[in-house]
Amino acid sequence: MLTWTGGALGLFFIFCGCGLLLSAAARGKYPMRVLVVCSTICSILMMLAAVAALATGRSFETHLWNLEGLGRFTLRLDMLSAIFLFAAGLVYLPASLFVRNFVEVRFGGRYPARRYAVLHFALMASVVLILTASDAPLFLISWECMSILCYFLMNYEQSPRTDTRAGYIMLGMSEAGFLAVVVAFLILGRGSSDWSFSALTAAASHLSTGAVWGVFLLGFLGFGVKAGLVPVNFWLPRCYTAAPSIFVPVLAGVTLNLGFYGILRLNTDLISSRGLGTGLFALIAGSITALVGILYATTENDMKKMLAHSSIENAGIVVAAIGASLVFRASGYAVPAAIALTAALYHMINHSVYKTLLFQGVGDIEAATGTREMDRLGGLAHFLPALSVVFLVGCLSIAAIPPFNGFVSEWLTLQCLLRSAVLLSPAVKILFALCGACLALTAALAVTCFVKVYSMSFLGIRRGKWRPRGRQKGTWPQFPLAYLAIACLLLGVLPTYVIPVLNRAVEPLVGASASSSLVPPFFTATPANQQLPPAFLEDFHNLGAQTGSSALPGRGLVVLTRGSEQNPVIFAMSPSYSVVALAIFLFATWIIVVRSTRKRSVVRKELWAGGIPRLLPEMTYTATGFSNPVRVVFQAIFRPNIVEDTRETVAVHFRTAILRRRDETHLVDRLFLHPVGEAASWFATLLARMHHGRLNAYVAYTLAFLIIILLLFRIS
Amino acid sequence: MTMMGSPLIPSERIELDALTAAVQERFRAAVSPSRGDNGAALCMLMNESGALPALCRFLFWDMGCSFGGVIVEELSRNWQLSYVFLAAGSGWINVILELPLGANSVPSISAEVHAADWFEREAEDLFGLQFEGHPRLGDFILHDQIWPEGVAPHRKPQRKSVDVHQTHFRRRPNPEWRPLLVVQDPGSFAMPVGPVYEGGIGEALHFLLETVGEDVLRAVPRLFYKFRAVEKIAEGKSVSDVLLLAERFAATSSFAHSLAFSLAVERICDLEVPVRATHLRVLLAELERLRHHTGAITGICESTALAVAASQAAIVEEQLLRASCQFAGHRYLFGLNTPGGVRRDFANEDFHNLVTAVDHAVEDLRVLEDRLRFTSSFLDRLEDVGVVDPDKARDLNLVGPVGRASGRAHDLRRECPYGGYDKYEFEIPREVEGDGYARLRVLFREAQESAGLIHQAIQRLQPGPVFAPCEIHPSGMALGWAEAPIGATLHWIRLDDSGLVERYRAITPSFNNWLGFHAAVEDFAFQDFPIILATFGLSATECDR
Amino acid sequence: MSFWFWHGLKKGVRTTRYPRGRESAWGVSPGRPVTTEFGSSEDASRAAANCPVDAIIARGSSACVELERCIYCQRCHFGSSHVLEWKPDYEWTMVASGREKCEPLPDAYRRSLHVIVVDAGDCGACLHEVKQLNNPLYNMHRLGFFFTATPRTADVLLVVGPVSENMRVPLVKTYEAMPDPKRVLAVGTCAITGGVFGRTFMSAGGVASVLPVDLEVPGDPPPPLAVLHGLLVVTGRKPPVPRDSLLERSL
Repeated sequence: MLTWTGGALGLFFIFCGCGLLLSAAARGKYPMRVLVVCSTICSILMMLAAVAALATGRSFETHLWNLEGLGRFTLRLDMLSAIFLFAAGLVYLPASLFVRNFVEVRFGGRYPARRYAVLHFALMASVVLILTASDAPLFLISWECMSILCYFLMNYEQSPRTDTRAGYIMLGMSEAGFLAVVVAFLILGRGSSDWSFSALTAAASHLSTGAVWGVFLLGFLGFGVKAGLVPVNFWLPRCYTAAPSIFVPVLAGVTLNLGFYGILRLNTDLISSRGLGTGLFALIAGSITALVGILYATTENDMKKMLAHSSIENAGIVVAAIGASLVFRASGYAVPAAIALTAALYHMINHSVYKTLLFQGVGDIEAATGTREMDRLGGLAHFLPALSVVFLVGCLSIAAIPPFNGFVSEWLTLQCLLRSAVLLSPAVKILFALCGACLALTAALAVTCFVKVYSMSFLGIRRGKWRPRGRQKGTWPQFPLAYLAIACLLLGVLPTYVIPVLNRAVEPLVGASASSSLVPPFFTATPANQQLPPAFLEDFHNLGAQTGSSALPGRGLVVLTRGSEQNPVIFAMSPSYSVVALAIFLFATWIIVVRSTRKRSVVRKELWAGGIPRLLPEMTYTATGFSNPVRVVFQAIFRPNIVEDTRETVAVHFRTAILRRRDETHLVDRLFLHPVGEAASWFATLLARMHHGRLNAYVAYTLAFLIIILLLFRIS
Repeated sequence: MTMMGSPLIPSERIELDALTAAVQERFRAAVSPSRGDNGAALCMLMNESGALPALCRFLFWDMGCSFGGVIVEELSRNWQLSYVFLAAGSGWINVILELPLGANSVPSISAEVHAADWFEREAEDLFGLQFEGHPRLGDFILHDQIWPEGVAPHRKPQRKSVDVHQTHFRRRPNPEWRPLLVVQDPGSFAMPVGPVYEGGIGEALHFLLETVGEDVLRAVPRLFYKFRAVEKIAEGKSVSDVLLLAERFAATSSFAHSLAFSLAVERICDLEVPVRATHLRVLLAELERLRHHTGAITGICESTALAVAASQAAIVEEQLLRASCQFAGHRYLFGLNTPGGVRRDFANEDFHNLVTAVDHAVEDLRVLEDRLRFTSSFLDRLEDVGVVDPDKARDLNLVGPVGRASGRAHDLRRECPYGGYDKYEFEIPREVEGDGYARLRVLFREAQESAGLIHQAIQRLQPGPVFAPCEIHPSGMALGWAEAPIGATLHWIRLDDSGLVERYRAITPSFNNWLGFHAAVEDFAFQDFPIILATFGLSATECDR
Repeated sequence: MSFWFWHGLKKGVRTTRYPRGRESAWGVSPGRPVTTEFGSSEDASRAAANCPVDAIIARGSSACVELERCIYCQRCHFGSSHVLEWKPDYEWTMVASGREKCEPLPDAYRRSLHVIVVDAGDCGACLHEVKQLNNPLYNMHRLGFFFTATPRTADVLLVVGPVSENMRVPLVKTYEAMPDPKRVLAVGTCAITGGVFGRTFMSAGGVASVLPVDLEVPGDPPPPLAVLHGLLVVTGRKPPVPRDSLLERSL
């Protein structure tokens, strides 16, 4: 039966296929037009399909062809997939609108747009297939296609300036992750009849604890490669920096989420973990990832690399929330588990939106000035005023400042960690407290980082030697960024509309509803509603929680943290009311200021700098100086290898230069990659002893192997 | 290069005969030593200018002399450069280099005698002489940002009273100018401090603090915002007018500078001042020293924000200023010194009031010092801050209390006695740590010693005249020196045929010590900067003249 | 640490009563030379010739002093023939020459004044005297006067020194950075007429050639109480001394 969901999905595949074929066949400027038009339509269709599924609350399922040995390929768009599909559509829309400007203007037509278009559509199709696959082979095949297509898109620009080795690293890590995921699925499917997800779920209940741990760990590490978790995320900063500006938003906004999707699908849908251990592991890994990510982001001066580290931080927060959810569910507290999972999904969507905005903004900055180094920028607010406003919105969102979206999801995450008070085991509670402290530190460092980013690039005076280049050409260049900024604002101001939608995905996975405890129905509650005691409703109505009930749909505008009987509400907030109150207060203040200073005149004179003739850029604060305290305080983590401090002189007392050179290796490289690499080298050296070139020995190897096989046959 | 590395102990005397013999043996025909007059004990005329750096190195490092300064004179037929050294206990050594007027380049001695660095830069800015081998000339007194190249204001053809709006000197900030920064790190920047000092009331100084964010790696001072060309204004004026200038270019040490000037003029006129005047001069000089050191102590307490101690020290200083005014008629002792003696006499009652005030002041300072020694929060901010070790102090020729706190116990009153000091008994305090606390201790000790000297001076007073009329000898020249509160100061005067001043050169202790300040202070924290400035207690106006 | 608290309290209050009364302690001010009657005009001319900066004017048989030129060399005080009489005084703030009067700052500033001090090449004495205003014996905070570090919050620009050439641009920038209403106070003889430095290529010869000056406080240096009087005149709490009366006033 053709539903809206099914129809939209079908149309999506049709348009995608058409786009691919048309752009492959066309010549001249047509591939670019096809790319823009078809890609925009495809992303809108993605969002439409997701919205349709979430609105009706029914999953859509269809069977594709049957392959011998691998089973039947099924497509299923359930609630969880719908949310991820919506997020992907949100990111692909501005990416599609920007692509023409980028490929034509920046590259100047050096590389054929046709190649890009083909890869773009193929990637889009594979992403949707991953999200809607309902059996393991289709899932794995589309995952592998996605990895390879990412590699091709990353190495789209082949010039001496770019770092093509980064692509190899990404490919290698993707393959390693993929192998881990395949092994996980193999373990999972050992006892089941066929490979569809439903059969796997049934088989999973018979797995031993060891097997469950094995599946969890392999899946965590394997999907963690794409999601950017410690210890498998060392490829991420380098590769995000090397990827072309048009592709990075897709990398950060879409493929990162696929990692989360994999982890969620594996752990909440396929296997339901029975012990606390797996959840705690995820929580701890997530917290450490977040802290490491933000530390490196705060001390990084290249904007793209800094945003890559920040993506690692946000991935850590999402995974920490997922871990908390698993712990709660394993302990039997379904409602906190639902809240935690809601927080994770909310943060995932928010991250997609503001990270795309920031990456796109950085791409614009690089196109306008030619540099990404924060130490060389400064004063951009004069030259790029529209961009400075949107970028500010992005920075505020990612720094979790109300009324933007980052605040709501970080608040929810920290709140659900605080709910660990209901757990029984004190050790677990302590771990939750420590991880909560870790995430709080992360949030504080994030504010530092993005204050530095915005102020060093946009405010102050110009520090580098660049001159601002002309305006970008293309379709309404500011529209995609404005659209993302408005999305940031809306997601932040209207959480009570987003949470029920996310709840539809969370409820089947966890078995409890989050929205009833997070978003009480102040607008629709009747005295007969037993969910909420009338005295409770009375209090909130006196505070004005019903304001707007006649005009606005939905349950209410207040987000709560519920407590025990004696203390029913621990915390309540309402970004919607806050934003209205903020607007009123700001307006009132503005009126007061204008009226009281009416008689004064404002004279603008030049900057006061102690009386020196001119304030030179060398005399203003740099990004390095701003973040130096962080570098010094956390020196034990950064552990710089060499800090050379050579002082050159002409005469003994006369210094001409003080040179400072600082070499650091990333923490993850130091602790994981290098030891693993050394172990692998050592093992390879050991094995190399076998390759000595003597033919007799090789024949002996063959003989020995033959004997071993015969013995094995004999035994079995 | 042999170095007498250990700091010079006052009892080490350098015999001039031995030194002359050593110089002649080493440099033979390149140098002609001769007995000096007009203030210098020994004159060495350079016959070969190329031997100048080697001779200076020999005198400074091998023979252990300290460096006084460089005096550049543009005479009618030639340039005369005098490099002044002090042989402890014996007197001044004048190394004279004469160059034809057309010649412009002089071998630089800054690589050997590092203390000569700023003297050569000053000569290049004001006279246009090029010092071969100096690593960085220019942008010193005449800031490159506003002064065009090629202006040498101290040269003879310039008129001293130039109309300020004359086009030749029209100056506009140069937009292409960049400060010469030393730290090469992409994230480093230079924080500007001043010249309108952001810390409240301060002299017009400008610093660029180069940093990468945490510690200041290097402080680049840009002085001479207060340069008023005193030496140039003095040309062509009478001795009594130049005395007014000498008193007023650095008013907190005005008596010491006027004393050095008067001694130089008296040396030209070959005049012996009356004994009573000698003792009065010692009394007034020590009064000024006591007051100046109290002011420095107040500054240190203020910089560490120890408010009560700062207030108490400020009260003591104000009491001393009032005592000076009551005694001598002017709070800063202007108008007392003159070539030939002192311009007025005092009654017994005046001495009595002065002694009472001085004793009260000294007692208050003693109580203050006793308590500061036990205030750990105060000491924490002074100890190990701005450390200048003895080797560096020797290298950079630090003078005065700053030098004494780093092991250089040099004091002109002891090493090259002037104005009757050879008959007085006093100690020269000496510390070796070279940090802020050592400098503070030296200031307290010297204040006590000054009070003792005031008592001795009053006891030695005998009735008699205080002034002997001074007849100016035309075409005379002489060196005068004094130990100002900040350190050793030298004044050189050359008179022309009509008895007017042809060249007046003032080498001030702040000039020497500012060079030492910027080269010796590296790698400090931002918050220690005002404290280091306060413990050095240097005067920008004395350096800038 | 509590020692300092008690130590300060024990020392008691030693602040001067000025402006509520006269300060009569010894040594608060060097005083100033006043118009002196000599017997004949030759004596008066000889008295005028004593002055190296021509600050003494012979008018008939009396010699009067233009205080804004006086550099306090004391040659008319002792040590020569034909000395003038000196009066212990410290209130001698005048309206700048060439101006009729100086409007004091509005009433809001009467007890809350922020002063920025710019050192434009002075010898150190005037700056030192201004600094003494903060010590407990004068304590200008009790009168509502404060020193600020930045001209953006300053009401009065207090300039000492003859404006050396290198400090001209910073001084002008400071003045321009101050918001209205503002006043300029030139403290010290050097700041008014250039003192011994005069008008040369390195010295502007007084603040008036660079900025519009409102009030002048002569002296070399003016004692702290004279500077305090100047600040009181700026706020209107005391009237400025008429220029003529300084010339004519005698014991």
